[in-house]
Amino acid sequence: MAERQELAPRQEGRLERTPRRRAMSPPVDVYETDEGLILLADMPGVTPESLEVKVEDNVLHLRGEIAEAPGEEVRPEYVEVRGREYYRAFTLGPEFDQEKIEATLKHGVLRLFIPKVESERPRRIEIRTVQ
Amino acid sequence: MPINWTWDPFEEFERIRAELDRLLEWVSPVRSIRGEEIYPRINVGESAEEVLVYIFAPGVDPGKVELSLEGNVLSVSGERDSEAELGVKEVRPERFLRQERFSGKFSRVLTLPESVDPEKVEAEYRNGIIVVRIGKKAERRARKIEVKAS
Repeated sequence: MAERQELAPRQEGRLERTPRRRAMSPPVDVYETDEGLILLADMPGVTPESLEVKVEDNVLHLRGEIAEAPGEEVRPEYVEVRGREYYRAFTLGPEFDQEKIEATLKHGVLRLFIPKVESERPRRIEIRTVQ
Repeated sequence: MPINWTWDPFEEFERIRAELDRLLEWVSPVRSIRGEEIYPRINVGESAEEVLVYIFAPGVDPGKVELSLEGNVLSVSGERDSEAELGVKEVRPERFLRQERFSGKFSRVLTLPESVDPEKVEAEYRNGIIVVRIGKKAERRARKIEVKAS
């Protein structure tokens, strides 16, 4: 298949309404199948309630918040994860069906299935043997 | 104001780091200045009664995570197969358009405050975070000293 920028990550920050603190950018895997793309994003601490996945103007936005926060009586001793928000955005090509994106969340991993529109799927051509 | 992970006395450093990140991301969209993906990332907090350890380990099988506390040394190790969640029968490497998530064996060791009591440990896996609560030895708890008015 020809190289296409099907799911191009977007430069973050510029278009963002300057958040007080930059959100964490979750690492992602993107895998292509005949039917569409599978996107996996590590967002530990995010729950279905604190997760937002939306497509706006061909841009896929992933946003989530760590639901669990220690109480006020807890003093941070050592911190590798700063902030509570995750954010990342991707531009979607016209070959994808934005209406039919499926999202599941398990153990802090978001899985998206982004189907290709029917006409973009590879068609299997049957080869018949001629006697 | 509530204190949580956003607490950071080095606000200015954070700002500079963010600037650098942005610059570097412009060069390489995948890796930030901090380089390789640390897995799992860990936060430690302490209250008067206990020490809380948050191990950010998304997508692991909790049954395959080895967690141990010896004295005040906490070890966590295990393995994560990043491809498991794809749900694809046969994974073909050439079909990855992007692969940033950690995959493979991990092992981390960290020293906790000496006041922890290895007899009082509880761990739970919630939404991809292993939350470990460790009680403190009674005699090591900070005692509040009341100032009496004379």
